[in-house]
Amino acid sequence: MSSPTSIVDLNDASLLARLQDLVVASPVPEAAISEVLQVLQKARGYIDEDALRLAASLTGLSPVKVEELCTFYSLVLREPVGTHVLRICDSIACHMAGAQDILTQARQHSGVDLGEVSRSGKLTVIPHVCIGLCDRAPALMVDDQALGPVDTQTLTRLLAQLEADIWKPS
Amino acid sequence: MEAILSRHFADPDPADLRAYRDAGGYVGLARAVQMDPADIIAELEKSGLRGCGGAGFPTGLKWRLRGVDAPEPRYLVCNLDETEPGSIKDRALLFGAPHHILEGMFIAAHALGVRYAVVFVRGEYAAGARVLEKALHQAREAGLMRLPDGDLRLDIHVSLGRYICGEDSAILNAIEGKRANPRKKPPHISQQGLWQQPTTVNNAESIAHLPGIFAHGADWFRSLGVNGGVGSKLYSVCGPARRPGVFELPMGTTAQEILFEHAGGLQPGRTLRAVLPGGSSTPFLMPEHFDTPMHFDAVAKVGSRLGTGGFILMDDRQCPVDFLVATTRFFARESCGFCTPCREGLPYVRWLLERIEAGEGSAEDIATLHQLGGQIAPNSFCALAPGALMPVLSGLHAFADDFEAHVRLGHCPYRGPQS
Repeated sequence: MSSPTSIVDLNDASLLARLQDLVVASPVPEAAISEVLQVLQKARGYIDEDALRLAASLTGLSPVKVEELCTFYSLVLREPVGTHVLRICDSIACHMAGAQDILTQARQHSGVDLGEVSRSGKLTVIPHVCIGLCDRAPALMVDDQALGPVDTQTLTRLLAQLEADIWKPS
Repeated sequence: MEAILSRHFADPDPADLRAYRDAGGYVGLARAVQMDPADIIAELEKSGLRGCGGAGFPTGLKWRLRGVDAPEPRYLVCNLDETEPGSIKDRALLFGAPHHILEGMFIAAHALGVRYAVVFVRGEYAAGARVLEKALHQAREAGLMRLPDGDLRLDIHVSLGRYICGEDSAILNAIEGKRANPRKKPPHISQQGLWQQPTTVNNAESIAHLPGIFAHGADWFRSLGVNGGVGSKLYSVCGPARRPGVFELPMGTTAQEILFEHAGGLQPGRTLRAVLPGGSSTPFLMPEHFDTPMHFDAVAKVGSRLGTGGFILMDDRQCPVDFLVATTRFFARESCGFCTPCREGLPYVRWLLERIEAGEGSAEDIATLHQLGGQIAPNSFCALAPGALMPVLSGLHAFADDFEAHVRLGHCPYRGPQS
């Protein structure tokens, strides 16, 4: 199954060159794994089997070792996601400010369970740990942009912009 | 007080090297490179700077214990993995004071004889890492990374996530491309750290204080504090305050002043019941202790911890059991899973709290929580589980009536009976 954002071919010469540069620049090849996985995830939307094997061969780690890292680190996605990933903070400050309502609204909008790709293909909603925006709770992240405070109206607007492909990071 | 760390927080471009230099930036580095490493460390010890990541270990002593003659290569890591709920000061530094961090790293690299340094930034702060990258590019172009012993290489490592990466040996495993499980100590990381070489890990705020200390001297830094505190401190306030945010104040400012003057007190119609004073792994600080100067020793004396200086407010509308469900959910999720007491114990604590909050708990469940508190912390491998339990155990004591009311009524008294 391919992700809606799985757009870059792993044989793409510029992608491969960029990945190889990261490994060469790293003090030791295996220490490049974080950046390699980040670049692959950005290009493919998530780390599929082919991306995992490529990351392993580039860094000299075994595929099992890379899988071990992927299952440990929470920002690595091993399943397909929508065009945008909405991470909704549910830690204490956001919890007190109504994070559960925000999470429920986003999940209902997506029409699927948390972590799944919405019917439109535009969205995946995931609960997430504190994103450091406790003074602007409740907060969330759209891809790597943190936003807060969010209420039901601003969330409705944000979801509409994401669906219409008109959302821009600030 | 004069803004030091927060001087450029509101600038249109905090990464602008010229603006930073115009305000006295990189003077501390210019002075430090004229000094011998041993003299730098002595000056830092004299300043009284203590680790701002939460533990409060004296920074100068940490450097001296590594030894100026430690085997080469030696490494330096700036810990900007801030993930603890209620702690937002390092984020403010990353976005608003990138040159403070870099200048501090260059001073530290010179003092510690380091040629390779890493700023470890949590993945959720990737946008901030780009601000730091911009500042780094300008500093490199300006020749500021040419230190007396050679060029410094500084990498910005954007993490793949997980709270445990902030532990000072787990962070090294993450940089090396491994799972971020904490390492067994000894050997201490100052002897065998990154790639088994001597390594120093300092919190971003500790690092950001160095430019001021070396531009103006240890005595100047000490004089910034009040009520027995030393230097300035980035406190933060979140929860139902009128003006939540990050405030740079003299270290030792009382909780009362931080909460009611700088953060403006509570939102209308609310009454403050208690705070976690230093992020979600600190014991509750009760109103009778709000006159406490917020520095490491004074807060410890009243049974809590300064931690990160990140206040989390709990008002009279918030159920303390529900509050603790949320703090414990974080730690249970973020346990690295390496040791059994933490991996199995924290979800058990969370489950018991959820049961009580749902009105399904018993007096025995409350007793079990007390018991687990005594069993999990001393038997776990690192400080994650003990930290997770601090608010729970202090909350069981401070809000015992609330816990009992949940059991007696069979529902949460703050929510009322659920249909």
